[in-house]
Amino acid sequence: MFLCGTILSLCANASAPEDAATARVLVNSLGRPAPARTAFAEARFLKVLDQPLVVSGELAWLGGDRLERRVERPNREVASIADGEVTQQREGRPPRHFSLKRAPQLQILLESFVALLGGDSERLEQAFAIQHTVGDTKRWTLTLTPRDPNLARTVSRIEIDGQGNEPRCMRVQEADGDLSIDLLGELAAKMPATPTRDALVALCQGG
Amino acid sequence: MHRRGRWVLLVLWLATLAALGWMVSQRLRISTDLRSFMPAPTTPDQRLLMEQVGEGPGSRLLLLAIAGKSDDQLVALSQGLAAALRKDEHFSQVINGSFDIASLDDRLLPYRYLLSPTLDTQRLDAAFLRDELEQRLEDLASPAAGLLKGLLPRDPTLEVLKLAERWTPPKSPDVRNGVWFSAQNEALLLVQTHAPGFDPDAQAIAIDGIRRAFDALPDHQGAALTLSGPGYFSVLVNAQTRGQAEWIGRISTVGFIVLLLLAYRSVSSLLLSALPIASAALAGIAVLVWLFPQVHGITLAFGFTLLGVAQEYPIRVLSHRRAGEDAVQSVRDLWPLLLTAIASACIAYAAFYASGVNGLRQLAVFTVTGLLVAGFSTRYLLPYLLPARVRDVADMPWLIAARRYADALPRPRWIPWVVALATVLMLALAQGPFWQNDLAALTPLPRDLLQRDARLREALGAPDVRYLLILQSSSEQGVLALSERIEPALDALVARHAVDAVELPSRYLPSDAVQRARQQKLPDRPLLQQALNEALRGMPFQPGLFAPFVDDVQKARAWPPLTPARFAASPLGQRLSAMLVQRDDQWLGLATLSGLHDVTALQALAQASGGAVRLLDLKDAAESLVVDYRARILHALLAATVLLVLVITLALRSVRRAWHVLAPMTLATFLVLAVERVAGVEISLFHLVALILAAGLGLHYALFFERDTGDAAEQRRTLHATLVCVLSALLVFGMLAWSSIPVLRAIGLTVSLGVAFHFCLSIMMAPHARQD
Repeated sequence: MFLCGTILSLCANASAPEDAATARVLVNSLGRPAPARTAFAEARFLKVLDQPLVVSGELAWLGGDRLERRVERPNREVASIADGEVTQQREGRPPRHFSLKRAPQLQILLESFVALLGGDSERLEQAFAIQHTVGDTKRWTLTLTPRDPNLARTVSRIEIDGQGNEPRCMRVQEADGDLSIDLLGELAAKMPATPTRDALVALCQGG
Repeated sequence: MHRRGRWVLLVLWLATLAALGWMVSQRLRISTDLRSFMPAPTTPDQRLLMEQVGEGPGSRLLLLAIAGKSDDQLVALSQGLAAALRKDEHFSQVINGSFDIASLDDRLLPYRYLLSPTLDTQRLDAAFLRDELEQRLEDLASPAAGLLKGLLPRDPTLEVLKLAERWTPPKSPDVRNGVWFSAQNEALLLVQTHAPGFDPDAQAIAIDGIRRAFDALPDHQGAALTLSGPGYFSVLVNAQTRGQAEWIGRISTVGFIVLLLLAYRSVSSLLLSALPIASAALAGIAVLVWLFPQVHGITLAFGFTLLGVAQEYPIRVLSHRRAGEDAVQSVRDLWPLLLTAIASACIAYAAFYASGVNGLRQLAVFTVTGLLVAGFSTRYLLPYLLPARVRDVADMPWLIAARRYADALPRPRWIPWVVALATVLMLALAQGPFWQNDLAALTPLPRDLLQRDARLREALGAPDVRYLLILQSSSEQGVLALSERIEPALDALVARHAVDAVELPSRYLPSDAVQRARQQKLPDRPLLQQALNEALRGMPFQPGLFAPFVDDVQKARAWPPLTPARFAASPLGQRLSAMLVQRDDQWLGLATLSGLHDVTALQALAQASGGAVRLLDLKDAAESLVVDYRARILHALLAATVLLVLVITLALRSVRRAWHVLAPMTLATFLVLAVERVAGVEISLFHLVALILAAGLGLHYALFFERDTGDAAEQRRTLHATLVCVLSALLVFGMLAWSSIPVLRAIGLTVSLGVAFHFCLSIMMAPHARQD
């Protein structure tokens, strides 16, 4: 545990960490007025599957703690989060409801998303330990580690890559090894037909 | 008796009392179950009522609400409290929100294929599996992925979720973050106790446990926990009644002591006169302990009240002592009359024994023993201890004046007839129902508590406590099969809004037959594996992922169907167990109803079943029970009255003298009844008990006033003794009449009125006063 921590901080040092103040400025600059919509393409690398699952559609922040995830391909589905409840609607099926409490991944996603789109650095810092690394030409990565130990048991970290005041990628690393990578905005169109973890990470950070 | 002899006697008496007290304190076990104060049920509905009142699933439910904090904090408090209470063995069930899959025991999980209705319409073939797996793939790409990922290898068709849906109460409150919330922003919980709802002591322990668990939660400060439900109410009523009875008792005890000190101006007389009563109480309890395994708390409370009559015996002895006369001699003169008084009071109280109600039998044993011990110790022990020199009350100037005034009162012969006529008229003209059949009316709850209960019950969709649907069959399986048969009809009634929800036993466990039919449809291992392989063709699932699923299906195929007994090991099975009751050679299923809007629709459904299904109205059954109860007491009283007339006639050796004693007593008793009726009071069992107590006291007054001694001083002593008795009774029961609790008020008012009427009528109708 201690070793890990040391190595991590070494790595962070190597990529020239900015102080908390610049992270705050960055997060504040990411804010949008609600409703904010962006296209997304997501690849999920799951242990139970021998190839990744890819879906694409639109993500929307409707203000407050309300999010909507609209999937267009391969099958239409709308999932919305409001008042701690998730509602999932698919064509030709009755809607399914469940509590946000039972889906920690989703809760983390909501937290980070709402704070980012709202440009609310304070809220983000409350929920996550934030690490800010800057690459070349305005490229940056925010690494968010959940402070709530219960949430940390399912989601180890979220990495958000961006350029200027534009987030490009969101990578959610789950504790069991599963990984999902969302390409956001213009990048969404660049999802390869058969994505691999490395190719997508390279796409997020470079290209 | 010598001075030393007196001391020896006193010490012996006190030592006996101390020994008796010690013995009683070692062996006395007090029960608080209110049902031992109800009569033995005679009809099947009444029998069911008696069980349901205490142990039915509805009566053991407590409704909890936490308010006063932000939603997030309330969620944490609700989860914390639920987790703590689930570990507490006083509770059989704790639910605070959406159904938790964890409440189905892991070892029972393979049974999901026999419990879920999926197989009734589907087979586990390649087409079905393919469709399900495609859906799972979509699930994995959706926000619900985290929820299902763990279940997938074992349960690709999500039978567990189908069961969860089936077992979630159909009308449940809003769920926020997995926790129930009311419209008033309170976190809601439903808790079922193991203890019966109408055992206030056991419920108090459970409720204490809830409060302690809540107080131990972090951040509970500022949040308010409120409770509701039958168990909570029984605790509340018990504490309220006990509290009021205690402070009233304290005040009247002080008043009583002051009264006796004023009347006799002797501390030693006062202390000594307490000995017969103390002996009576201790002996009464000792006999109870000897005869019954448990003594009911109410027996003791009422018993002490009824023993108040016995205080008359030492008072009579103290008042009737003449200056210079030996106490033993004055008791000897008084004894024949005192014995008649004791015998008649014993007969009146023995009537309770004939009622056949366990609690009242105890009451009869206690009071009759107490009266005999008080009487005989007053006769054979007390006089030897009383100080030799006393003031003769007969010489007190105010008493002489009072007696003169009483004697001078006009006593026209028509007065009793006018009173009798007025009584008959009042009884005939009084409005409203004569009898109070609703036991709950005697221990009413504050309106706001009842409203809160109704609100929480509505919000939680908790079952109605008044109605139950009873399914009857010769076996447990028969009940489950019956429950399955009527399920469609009941679903139709729910759809028509005749009732909001019906919780049937078959919702939790299908009958053997249905389970076997589903088992028949489960494929064997090669067949299932083949279908699965076909379904998986071209899908990205890892090879071998679904081995746990194949294993579970094979277990469900081979295992014997799930029985209620085996199911009872899990929390849900306990819910089922509470719904299945064995009665002699019959089995009953108890289906609770929520939000019953159309009683006739359910009655029609019951009628169509030809007796296998009944709608039980617990309120109706309770009222019929009270009516039976009263009829028994009235019969017993009638017998006691006949016996009383015989005993008094024999004791006085004159029908005419007996008439002079019994007439004022009877008239006064009916007058009390008439006045209460005109005042709009409905007569309950407690009024009847109080009337008997008042009649016992009145009989004593009449007996003593009737006594013709031809001695003016002795007449004054009689008046003195009676006045002390009347005042002390008025003091004790008059205080009770001010209580806000109807049971206490009923007793207080009836006895106070009774004592006043008995005194006035017996002094007015005393035969020889006119001759003075």
